[in-house]
Amino acid sequence: MAARLNAAAPFALALLIGAAVLAATGHDPLAVYRLMIEEAFGGERRLAATLTAATPLLLTGLAAAVAFRAGVFNVGVEGCFYLGGLVAAVVGWRFGDWPAALLIPAALLLALVVGGAWMVLPGALRVRLGVDEVVTTLMLNFVAIGVTSWLVNGPLLARGSANSATPPIAASAELPRLLPPTSLNAGFLISLALVIAYGFWGRLTVGGFRSRLVGLNARFSRAVGLAPDRVVFGAMLASGALGGLAGGVHALGLVHRFVAGFSPGYGFTGIAIALLARNSALGVALAAVLFGALTSAGANIQLFSDVPIEIVEILQGAVMIFAVAQFGRRGRAVA
Amino acid sequence: MIDDFLRAGLMMTTPILLTAIGGLVNRLGGIVNIGLEAMMLAGALVAVEVSAATGGVALALLAAALVGAAIGLAMSLVITRLRANEIIVGLGFTVAVAGFVRYLLKTLYGVAGTYNPPGVALLPRFDIPFLGGVPVLGALSHLDALTWAAWALVPLTAFALHRTRWGLRLRATGASEETVRAVGLAPLAIRDVSTTIAGALAGLAGAHLSIGVVGLFNEGITGGRGFIALAAFYFGRQSPWRTALGALLFGFFDAAQIRLQGRGLPADLVQTLPYVIVIIVLTGLGLADRARRAA
Repeated sequence: MAARLNAAAPFALALLIGAAVLAATGHDPLAVYRLMIEEAFGGERRLAATLTAATPLLLTGLAAAVAFRAGVFNVGVEGCFYLGGLVAAVVGWRFGDWPAALLIPAALLLALVVGGAWMVLPGALRVRLGVDEVVTTLMLNFVAIGVTSWLVNGPLLARGSANSATPPIAASAELPRLLPPTSLNAGFLISLALVIAYGFWGRLTVGGFRSRLVGLNARFSRAVGLAPDRVVFGAMLASGALGGLAGGVHALGLVHRFVAGFSPGYGFTGIAIALLARNSALGVALAAVLFGALTSAGANIQLFSDVPIEIVEILQGAVMIFAVAQFGRRGRAVA
Repeated sequence: MIDDFLRAGLMMTTPILLTAIGGLVNRLGGIVNIGLEAMMLAGALVAVEVSAATGGVALALLAAALVGAAIGLAMSLVITRLRANEIIVGLGFTVAVAGFVRYLLKTLYGVAGTYNPPGVALLPRFDIPFLGGVPVLGALSHLDALTWAAWALVPLTAFALHRTRWGLRLRATGASEETVRAVGLAPLAIRDVSTTIAGALAGLAGAHLSIGVVGLFNEGITGGRGFIALAAFYFGRQSPWRTALGALLFGFFDAAQIRLQGRGLPADLVQTLPYVIVIIVLTGLGLADRARRAA
């Protein structure tokens, strides 16, 4: 119970900050929040929109959690998301004549591999040379965004297209929709299944236990004969792979192509989600749906009231800040 | 022609340099400041607003420095007093402030993206007599005071860090919090001061972007320069001079890339160079460390 209160507190504080901003700019915070809840969860369509928005966040949150639990501070999921999205979109377009049963797995697998490969360098630098992975992964985000943006502005630009985007993927590469006409798609199921699998892995398997142990105390793990370096490196790769997959699912499921500015910061929101969830599977699922609800409600309240959608970013940032703040008691472990 | 390019490079260096010096001081005090971008953005907006409202450039700079300092202090207090992870808090501030700025643009001014009020007073430029026509050196003429101030800050910071009691205490705080506490000083307060300074300088850097050249505010005006500054002080390690060199390098990258646009040089790729350089520098440091340990 205490742990649950702990996770709810940052969110409650963020809502307070948001309420202050809303009140100061002449809005009734309670009315806005009520409208947001209504827009996020009221009825099948709105719920579908919320789950659609939660889909990439389930995976980026999971990607962050996998790294954090092993004590690796990977903030490079955003870059993996871009690369995975681009690769999946290109495969879905170039090999559009393949059957869906082959095309979709191939595109997603490649996204996964590229995401993991992107984390080989910072993982190796951390394990081999002790180079702080936070800075290298943060920097690699900008490199990934720059490289993908260059590719869609030049070599991969859709013919006759003025904006920076690849051509659309073939219909056979699109992930099937679950509730037409809403855009909820099979990507949600893939993401949810992986989060559940992570929950079992973390609780029931040796690998999951080992990674938690290394995250809690690397020196102890070494002393009892675990290989923390290998665990850390593996966690980094797995985290990157999930980030790449998240991008691939987003490209095939929702966007159906790759565009410059592909992610509005899903990788960073994933960090907030993993922190709020304290790396637990159930927590990741709940927090992802919560942030998904914020996003989809934010877009709608901008349409139906004059509250700018940016209130959502303010809330997200505040959640990140309060999720790592420690009130009162000493020595609570942070990610 | 060459003068114009050099001057453009210097002007592009100024915001990076100001921010990087602040970030360096902050890092020596023990905090890696990921929120510089946020402080820069807030400074840029406030400078435009105050400059347009009052026509006073000095007032605009003061306001930008103050708002940057306030955000820096708030961020620092969360890190030092609530023992929060500096990286996440920094990212959180970046997200929240960027959102807040855009929120304000929409609610207060009813604009999305660009805020262009009438009557923005720009930073005055100083022409140095006789220098204007001299090749290369002519670039030093027609610069603004903030640019000169930023460069004056480099030797000043080097002096303050290594020759003053304040600098010693700051570096000690970064190196060993316990030692500083043991001799009866307050390391957390010292750290807070260093973040506040970093915030003020980043705020000024933002002002240079908005009222230094263009005279308007755009939500993308900082364009990741807070993170490039981070790259510059990682490049500079402990030294203000090396940090300045990094800032100069990145400033000229910026200027060159604008010049070369449309000539086949891929801007998107050139823009990633600062970040690649940081990774190379960190790798080099890691290798040197390992060699030292092996020896």
